[in-house]
Amino acid sequence: MDVSSILDAQKAREQNVQVDKETPFEIDCGHLMVTDLNPIDEESYTENLEEHLQNLARDGTQALIGALFGLPTTKSDYGPLAQLPSRAYQLPRAKPLPKPKPQTKWEKFAAAKGISHRKKDKRVWDEEKQEWVNRWGKDGKNKQVEEQWLTEVPRNADADYNPQLAARQERKERTAKNEKQRVANIARGESSSRKTELEKTLATTRVSTASMGKFDKKLEGEKKLRGIKRKFDPTEAPVGNEQKTALKLISSMDSDARKMRKTHRGDEPDNTLNARKAIRFASKGQGAAALAGARGGKGARGGRGGKGRR
Amino acid sequence: MRPLTEEESKAVFTKLASYIGKNLVHLIDRPDEPYCFRLQKDRVFYVSEASMRLGISVARPNLVSLGTCFGKFSKSGKFKLHITVLDYLAQYAKYKVWIKPNGEMPFLYGNHVLKAHLGRITEDTPEHQGVVVFSMSDIPLGFGVTARSTVDTRKLDPTAIIVFHQADVGEYLRDEETLF
Repeated sequence: MDVSSILDAQKAREQNVQVDKETPFEIDCGHLMVTDLNPIDEESYTENLEEHLQNLARDGTQALIGALFGLPTTKSDYGPLAQLPSRAYQLPRAKPLPKPKPQTKWEKFAAAKGISHRKKDKRVWDEEKQEWVNRWGKDGKNKQVEEQWLTEVPRNADADYNPQLAARQERKERTAKNEKQRVANIARGESSSRKTELEKTLATTRVSTASMGKFDKKLEGEKKLRGIKRKFDPTEAPVGNEQKTALKLISSMDSDARKMRKTHRGDEPDNTLNARKAIRFASKGQGAAALAGARGGKGARGGRGGKGRR
Repeated sequence: MRPLTEEESKAVFTKLASYIGKNLVHLIDRPDEPYCFRLQKDRVFYVSEASMRLGISVARPNLVSLGTCFGKFSKSGKFKLHITVLDYLAQYAKYKVWIKPNGEMPFLYGNHVLKAHLGRITEDTPEHQGVVVFSMSDIPLGFGVTARSTVDTRKLDPTAIIVFHQADVGEYLRDEETLF
């Protein structure tokens, strides 16, 4: 029995499926990506580029699909689905790395002295109450002195010394100091060097003429003034944040409208009567002053007459 | 294509709120799919997050339209609603006006709604309130702004204007070149 023809047919079929390369393909199933590291065959490249590229693409796709069929599968309504492994190839970042935050004065100092950061808990244990209380905020521990029902008064205190008020003032001063430091830290973080300051001043002076700098003499090598670049939110950020800000905006708009309505109603308690129209009707078009004058007979304003009679 | 700034979204939201009031929240906070507003060449589009992400990869001069066009910003920064928003307005409208069959064609040619053509109107509609105009068979035809409150309309003569025309579905034909 001659089976060579069957074997040949089988071989031809396998040739279609199997891809043999000098260097095997690098397949990254997670990205569905195949990398061909073989050098380009110059002969076939120059001879027929289209066919060469098509063959390359076919081999790559064949290798990828072969690899996909080797993966574990799960059943689904649409047929078996391959479970892709995690991605191996490191894709480059789309955006540059975020800049590191500028250090605060304290952070700089702590780094120099080797002080490690200790995170404070929001809640602290209260020995007297025998429970956890907030360090600050609602019923905070920092308000304990001003909220206690009995407070010691120092011996040398003034007659009008209010211990609760004093404690509150002290606390408010601490927050104010912290806020001041925060603002100072931000100012320090922004690079306000002498050069940038000078440039800012120069830019201001250049547009501070009657023609807004349009007809000024141009100096040699003077650069064109650049305006402030508009900055918009990134398009590709998740929509959830946008939704939150939109809802916040809507609620603020709503509360604004309500406030407006309230003040409006406060001014006119009864807006069913059009006061202006009523006055016009009652005074027969003369206005409120005439109405007042008519009511008082010869009113206070009636004394003085027209033009030139002084 | 970019998200709206705060001022722009304020302009869009106030305009939409004059038609649909508090239902505006339903446009932003949707149960089915996240949707967002995007600005592309002074036009505001209301688009699902999925199609927005597809649209990112299209260059700005090549991107003609995506999602639903809600309207455009004029050069002076005012926002004007387009007829394409009608689907959403009709769905959530607070105040509605129904017009008689003999008034449909005049409205669809861009005229104001007269009292003679008024079929029905939502009770206690205030003056200068955004309303959606329906035919008597509840087909949305366009939208406009009321000229008088519901109470005041009773005294008017039949030729008086009840609703100032803002947009109607006839614009799909009349403004075909500029609408999208």
